[in-house]
Amino acid sequence: MTTSHADLDALARDVRVYVFQQAAATGRVPQAPEISGALGRAEPDVRAALHHLAVGKVLILASNDGDIWAANPFCALPSGFRVDAAGRRYWGICIWDALGVAAAVDSDAVISAPCGDCGDQMTLEVRHRALVRADGVVHFAVPAHHWWDNIGFT
Amino acid sequence: MLLFRDEEHVDRWCRTRELSRGATMTPEQAWRLAYGWYKDKLKPDWRRHTLEETEALLADVGLTGAFWNLRD
Repeated sequence: MTTSHADLDALARDVRVYVFQQAAATGRVPQAPEISGALGRAEPDVRAALHHLAVGKVLILASNDGDIWAANPFCALPSGFRVDAAGRRYWGICIWDALGVAAAVDSDAVISAPCGDCGDQMTLEVRHRALVRADGVVHFAVPAHHWWDNIGFT
Repeated sequence: MLLFRDEEHVDRWCRTRELSRGATMTPEQAWRLAYGWYKDKLKPDWRRHTLEETEALLADVGLTGAFWNLRD
């Protein structure tokens, strides 16, 4: 087991780099068993590192099973915020993160998202690091100071 | 953060849920915010933005005022 804060910090760094680079490269957010196998570290240590990263607001864990819900901007599960970029399909937990996928993978991207009210699909497009197709308006329901009070709602 | 067809749809969504209206921005502002926030996230030496860096990013995107205040 991990025994010191320095060990935990170092493992958390390795886990972070693996998770985000895998998510970008594959469109799929790896979970603890896969991370454990890839890094050659015990799964409880990996889960401790993931918890450490969640406390640091680097990613978000699902409240029921401790799996990664979102390694923001990458959502681990299909959502309403779909991103097609670099020949892969990604998901975001919100429109900010969907746009963030295009930024993180540094690629042209087509983003499809529903109107929060009527559900109509809208499309945004990023090319050469610029938004070239825009639609609608983005609404933040929660003031910035309270975003992390309930990040799922935010 | 949700995308809406227009301001009227935002108002209706808030009314239906009995929520106070938050703040809106253009998709262009949202893109600039997302780009500044996430462009380095894959880098091994990535670190969270400091409070001051986040404030500067919000201001650069034109998001100022009480709603965007990050301090107590």
